[in-house]
Amino acid sequence: MSGLARRAAAILWKDILSETRARQGFTAMLSFAALVLFMFGFAIGVDNDLLERLAGGLLWVAIIFTGTLSLGRTFQNEELAGGTRLLRLYPGDPRAIYLGKLAGNLVVLAALEIVLFPAAAILYRVDFAAQAGPLLLVAALGTFGFSVIGTFFSALTVHLRARELLLPLLLFPALVPVVLGSVGATDAFLAGDPLGRAGGWLRLLASYDVILFVVCVWIFPVVLEE
Amino acid sequence: MSLAVAAEGVTRRFGRRWALRGVDLAVPRGTVVALLGANGTGKTTLLRLISTLLRPTAGRLEVLGRTLPAGGDAIRARAAFMTAGGHAYEELTGVENLRFAARMSGTEAAADDLRGALAAVNLAGAADVPVRAWSTGMRKRLELARLGLRPLELVLLDEPFASLDEDGVRLVHEAVRRWRAAGTAVVIASHRVEDATRHADEIVRLVGGRAAAATR
Repeated sequence: MSGLARRAAAILWKDILSETRARQGFTAMLSFAALVLFMFGFAIGVDNDLLERLAGGLLWVAIIFTGTLSLGRTFQNEELAGGTRLLRLYPGDPRAIYLGKLAGNLVVLAALEIVLFPAAAILYRVDFAAQAGPLLLVAALGTFGFSVIGTFFSALTVHLRARELLLPLLLFPALVPVVLGSVGATDAFLAGDPLGRAGGWLRLLASYDVILFVVCVWIFPVVLEE
Repeated sequence: MSLAVAAEGVTRRFGRRWALRGVDLAVPRGTVVALLGANGTGKTTLLRLISTLLRPTAGRLEVLGRTLPAGGDAIRARAAFMTAGGHAYEELTGVENLRFAARMSGTEAAADDLRGALAAVNLAGAADVPVRAWSTGMRKRLELARLGLRPLELVLLDEPFASLDEDGVRLVHEAVRRWRAAGTAVVIASHRVEDATRHADEIVRLVGGRAAAATR
């Protein structure tokens, strides 16, 4: 394993250990996600056809809202430990910090989605299982794009006073292609993709993911400068 | 004697406030320099600049033969900075905190070595206790143990005696003596004049962001 990968793995190990011991963060996140799903259900009412048609969009909005809470905490544990910038005192490429934090966010969001997809299937009466393979691909691409940009903006805003407000303000506009691609592909697969549109949405997602990843990894060291 | 730190006219500004104004500093290898001065005179800023955490606004700063900011990574591999507030993760135990520090420094220390490092600062009994249950003084000792994990050519200590009991202060003095004997340069910024200057080869006073005098 290269030095970069070893240090990224060290950050991932440390964050997962901290998260599993503290626990409150993930439990609160799950409760919030369940509330969001219920609220959408209550707002739309008992119109099963409408709920089914909107299920993809509602699910992704719930993931984005809840995930934003999690992303906001990405670097806060570093601040509690003395400061995110102290991680720069260790030798080696500072991009390892970004990659480790990104991996941690992917693990947390994947755990969240493992609960959210079945919950949405029950609440909105949608059969995700019939399209499990394609939907897994959509979830992977959507979650990756969300985590890539979210981890970056979380680092960018961690030292700002109004970070809780600024993170979504910066994040949501940058997430538009991720949301469009994820919702479009999810809806297309749930409908059996009669018009063959899913491929286009997946290409949009994959391209945006690659561009975001390269840009964020490239400029991350500047974010840690004081 | 070659220099571990050579600063010429180093200046640092935060917005419109000048933290350092043209500081000159020379720290030969294997020596101890005490940085003294009132609050807000720039001691911590100077340490942060030397540690590579900050870039100078103006001036020339050479650390361990590398000119900043270009040589930052090579400096970080051979230098360590103990900040006044420390750097420890609340949910991790003492051993886990040290393991993380070792991995981030590019080494994989055995559990016995990590426990040995904790025992050396009298923290053997708390090795498996999460740091959230530790006192401030114990966290300071953990910092000392972290610095002992790898060979260093330059050690920067910011208020190393704060929050420590007599035994803890003695451990810091022992560590400084050891580093100096091994040829490591040590820079100590502290308000505790007697402790900071005990091993000092040179005393530098900062006044209003300027190095006012170097004595001894």
